[in-house]
Amino acid sequence: MTEFHQAAAAVYLASGIAALLGIVLPSERIARASLYGLVVGAALQGIAFATLHRAAAPPALTDWVSVGALVAWMAVVVMVFFAWRMRLTTLAAVVGFVAFLFVFASLLKDPSTSVAVAGEAGAWPHAHVLLASAGISLLGVAGLAGIFYLIEHRRLKSKRALKRRVPGPSLEALDRVGVASLAAGFPLLTLGLATGMMWQRSENGVLFTGGPHEVWTLVAWLFYAGVVFVRFRGQQGARQGAATAVAGFVFLTFAVVGVGVLR
Amino acid sequence: MKLLLVGMNHRSAPVEMRERFAVDDPAPALEKLVAGDEIEEAVLISTCNRVEIVVQTPNVEAARHRLVRFFGTEWATRTHGAAIEDHLYVYRDAEAIAHVFRVASAIDSMVVGEPQILGQVKDAYRHAVDAGSCGPILSRLFQRAFATAKRVRSETRIGHGAVSMARIGVDLVAQVFEDLGSKKALLVGAGEMVEAALAALQGNGLGHATIANRSLERARDLAERFGVTAFGLDALPRLLAEADVVLTSVAVAEPILGVELAREVLARRRGRPVVVIDLGVPRNVAPEVGEIDNVYLYDVDDLQGIASQNAEERQREVARAGRIVSAECQRFEGWLGALEALPTIRDLSARAEALRRAEFERSVARLDLDEEQRAGLERMTRSLVSKLLHHPLTRLRKESDRAEGLALRGAARVLFGLDEPEAGADSEALDDPADDT
Repeated sequence: MTEFHQAAAAVYLASGIAALLGIVLPSERIARASLYGLVVGAALQGIAFATLHRAAAPPALTDWVSVGALVAWMAVVVMVFFAWRMRLTTLAAVVGFVAFLFVFASLLKDPSTSVAVAGEAGAWPHAHVLLASAGISLLGVAGLAGIFYLIEHRRLKSKRALKRRVPGPSLEALDRVGVASLAAGFPLLTLGLATGMMWQRSENGVLFTGGPHEVWTLVAWLFYAGVVFVRFRGQQGARQGAATAVAGFVFLTFAVVGVGVLR
Repeated sequence: MKLLLVGMNHRSAPVEMRERFAVDDPAPALEKLVAGDEIEEAVLISTCNRVEIVVQTPNVEAARHRLVRFFGTEWATRTHGAAIEDHLYVYRDAEAIAHVFRVASAIDSMVVGEPQILGQVKDAYRHAVDAGSCGPILSRLFQRAFATAKRVRSETRIGHGAVSMARIGVDLVAQVFEDLGSKKALLVGAGEMVEAALAALQGNGLGHATIANRSLERARDLAERFGVTAFGLDALPRLLAEADVVLTSVAVAEPILGVELAREVLARRRGRPVVVIDLGVPRNVAPEVGEIDNVYLYDVDDLQGIASQNAEERQREVARAGRIVSAECQRFEGWLGALEALPTIRDLSARAEALRRAEFERSVARLDLDEEQRAGLERMTRSLVSKLLHHPLTRLRKESDRAEGLALRGAARVLFGLDEPEAGADSEALDDPADDT
């Protein structure tokens, strides 16, 4: 499994560099090659996940580094899906580097520090981690697309985009990525929350203990619910949608990671 | 074997003169040119900015006179006589090669780096091949020109960055919209700018377009040609709400799109972005419209600024492109030089072989040799001649494309008497002095 993870990390790094070269040179062929690289990296990491439970002592999925690697993998899959159809090399470059960092961090982790999941919790922890990770990765892609949207919007407004040698992703492509990721990410996050509550009940007998992680995640969920409602009722423009996608992801990151770190 | 190019372009001749040489089918002109003794091969390049004839000739001066006469009295729709010479340029050999390479690479174009010229030069070559006026030398020249143009395009940024307003407008739209096929454009005006922009947008797959103009008749004329719909200016508020791209180029004293109308339109679009390109002077769109969220407004100065910047960048790339052209010219001259060295190499080899055979036959006649000894002697003489000639022939080939090559060829012809009739004197001069005793 480690070998596949190592190979995936190396391929992600190479893909990120290739995507950057594709933007800077600029070269369509190199940019396209970076996408193929991400596909290979995702396949390698997928094999690593598939073999996870065949190991003698399977590492826990619920520690932060493993979750990070899982989120990165899902983000890569989502990114490849979008970048295959649209001019999104800049996003692919960022995702490639981020995926490399997460997978590399998971390789540095000492397996003995993994927290074992209590047996009586059943399948809930894994369901929670998988669904919440998928939701977070999609909302992360929406947030990333939002950041790029705001950058491109600013450049176009200030007319600096005119002077650029290499055209960036179009606003429409970034908006489509944001909307589609939000549409798929929010239900997955909702399911992640629901399975998390089920996990809580199987361990503590209650659905909601009122801990900071739970409270902040619920607040983040409510925020996203508002964003989805406004966005899909057509009451929000593309730029405002991008800004709220960024804000939402910052909120969610704080709820999931920040609260745990500050505690 | 010499190359000569005679022609005129946008720098040497006004359009009134160039247009008289426009030809749809260059075959008759090419056939006429190669029918005489002065010209062996010919290719005619005719575009809106240049008319050039490249020829391969055994006599440069005769070919030059022929081409000038052709331009002045035989070709044009109206004769120009001696006056035409003032507008013609003449390039010989290396200069002609470099010029063809520069033309194909779009370095010599009015708009440096423009992509159309390579296709036009390819057409010119194809026509010459079809007309039977393009032989091995010009074929090779043009194949190398195409390869050079490809190198220039891929190794430099000479073709990067749009320089026409219409193209820049399309590039801008592409930075906002990923897919033009599902987009609607509204073009206000019916002049040349609007026409060029509409052609560029449709060329990039624009889905729907509408033209609005003060004169509905003119709008309809233009709309008919492009297969789009036309309206009067009174329909503007409705059309604006539907348009993802708005391009205006009309003569108006006051802006036709103010802040209030723009806000109203944006509200109906539910925040969907809109690109507004204002090519009018005075401006057709109030500058404050650009401050509204989701409106991307560009005026003629913005576009002109980027056109100048891209043109400057292309101009900077000319030096890099020039270096590629120089390297490719040298390669071609090397090939051409090697062709010129061929007769000397052939004559020298033939002369040496004739001497060897004569000496061999004489020796065989004097000596009483069996078959094996005879074969051995023949092998030895062949090897001796081959080794003696190896270095001179290699030098002749190697130096063929340099100035020394010409001197070496001359020296070889004199020293080995290649231009003298083959006679017994040659063999006598090389006879072994011991034979006299």
